[in-house]
Amino acid sequence: MNDIFGSALIAAIIASTIRGTTPILLAALGETYAERSGLLNLGIEGMMVAGAFSSFAVALNLNSLFYGFLSAAVVGLTLGLVFGILTITLRVNQIVVGLGLTIFAHSMSSFLHRVIFGNQFPILFGAGGTNEIPVLARIPIIGQAIFNQHWMVYLTFAMVPVLYGLMYKTRFGLRVRAVGETPLAADAAGVNVNRIRYYTILLGGLTASLGGAFMALGDLAFFVPDMIMGRGYIAIVVVMLGQWNPFKVCWGGLLFGFALALTSAMQVAGINISPDFILMLPYLFVIVALLLFTRSTNLPSSLCVPYKRGADGK
Amino acid sequence: MKNINLNALKPAALSIVSILFSLITGGIILLIIGKDPLHYFSLLFARGLGTSLGVTETIIKMAPLMIISAGLLSCFSAGLWNIGVEGQFLIGAMLTGWAAPMLSAALPYPIYLIAVLLLGITGGMVWILIPAVLKARADLNEIITTLMMSWVAINLVTWLVKGPINDLATVPAQTKLIPLIYRMPPIPFTRIHIGLIIGLISLLATHWMIKRTTLGYQFRVMLANKKAARHAGMNVARLTVYGLLISGGFAGLAGACDVLAIKGLFQGNWNPQYGMTAIPLVFLARLNGWAVIPLSFFFSFLAVGGEFVARDLDVPAFFVHVLEGMTLLFFAASEYFEK
Repeated sequence: MNDIFGSALIAAIIASTIRGTTPILLAALGETYAERSGLLNLGIEGMMVAGAFSSFAVALNLNSLFYGFLSAAVVGLTLGLVFGILTITLRVNQIVVGLGLTIFAHSMSSFLHRVIFGNQFPILFGAGGTNEIPVLARIPIIGQAIFNQHWMVYLTFAMVPVLYGLMYKTRFGLRVRAVGETPLAADAAGVNVNRIRYYTILLGGLTASLGGAFMALGDLAFFVPDMIMGRGYIAIVVVMLGQWNPFKVCWGGLLFGFALALTSAMQVAGINISPDFILMLPYLFVIVALLLFTRSTNLPSSLCVPYKRGADGK
Repeated sequence: MKNINLNALKPAALSIVSILFSLITGGIILLIIGKDPLHYFSLLFARGLGTSLGVTETIIKMAPLMIISAGLLSCFSAGLWNIGVEGQFLIGAMLTGWAAPMLSAALPYPIYLIAVLLLGITGGMVWILIPAVLKARADLNEIITTLMMSWVAINLVTWLVKGPINDLATVPAQTKLIPLIYRMPPIPFTRIHIGLIIGLISLLATHWMIKRTTLGYQFRVMLANKKAARHAGMNVARLTVYGLLISGGFAGLAGACDVLAIKGLFQGNWNPQYGMTAIPLVFLARLNGWAVIPLSFFFSFLAVGGEFVARDLDVPAFFVHVLEGMTLLFFAASEYFEK
């Protein structure tokens, strides 16, 4: 008996680790590229909220999950573009812009939610759901936990090797890294610094927003304005832990997914601790993980530094 | 009037233009959702500034904004980003709500008042101590750590107020009610509590500290160039801790004032999110203490008016935060036109 219960618990923890990792990892993958090219996007939190809200509202009104995800993509690209125009073209402070975007996107989502739904929090029927992968899903214990997930989960984890290859094996990836390290040299070599940065921030906006959309449409099937709860900032931490390398970022994301899964497992297992107390733990965990694993000396040299042609590079 | 330097007015003009742009964009958003923006804004003014109730409420709400801004001034002036004022505010407020009913019985009123305010300050400082030390020692990004501590605080105070410090005599999760005679006194002849004066003093003292003292000078050197500060022999690690502790202390003080003067107790789900307002505000003020005063008045008016109008016109009060976010973005953009 105990054995069956134990393996069921392990399977549940694995499944919920993967589900919890997905939105954070998705946002972190885009941010990996943005930071590598020199852009620190503190607007991720707001972009995730906006993605969650827009996808949910559109999916509910048009009764179509596809249009839900599509609208999240449009919103994410738009917010990424706004961040890009302000920080790349107008060269203003990335931290101020990021905070402003988060405040704006978060409150705009809360505002529109209240305008459209009043005080109600409808549930989107037909959202969530899983896609079983044949054969693999029949592996004992882990099969159902890993290979019976929402399609966005597979997409996110499939992006890890793709984005790794793009970063380290292609000319585009080389340019992204060059632009973040020494934009002056990259420019001299004929790379359009600002264009590369626009590409990466658009990717970052897209993935952050889709991460939020996954939470609303793939995981929870409802929207409340505070549902992201700092996951956008956690994504930024994951990028730092992962040293701007998609594979390591994936491990970092899983670490936090695991922390979140343990949090909910502790609640389900009925350990006699208040859930409010348990909910503090992932955030403390972030600080401890940062302390143990990061070396800030490895930051991309031009992070947060706007590039202006003809200036002396400093 | 003729001594006014036109160049000195440019920053003020850019801040005002940012606010105007955000109001105009806000008006367009209202149009899109089918509300009449002129009606909304005229009602906002009528409710927020046209009645004595509105004006009083607006002025009362300036207190926490000014106190928190005073703290943000000191850390932003040193290039340190305390984004987690919410957490420090809540810890200060929670400690006050928990300790005030006990201390009020034990101490004479003036000493009690000072003790409770100091407790709030200490709470805020303790809450930022870990991020401050980690920043100074290990160069951990304080944006992330202060934010994370803020989430920890939100959950911690909810847990404490439901259990260990709960007033068992009441049903909702809250601390014991502070008797009316032990609240913060009002300014004579008004309903406005003395938090306003505390706010003004904090603000001007911080402004003076930054502009006129050695510590403030060292902060400004740190903001301009950390390496230069280090080469000049300044103890950057210690300055980092000081700058962040000051900002955390003020946030805790604001929490203490709000509990002592307005709430009278601490509730678990109470979080006024002043950080969302104070951070844009301090940027708009361009780290100038004097400029914070009219801006706190304006943002406080928006918040109070927004709450009133929300009931009349069915425009959710979140709209005010939308305006604040846009103001910050327009302000950021205006930086470009200064270069």
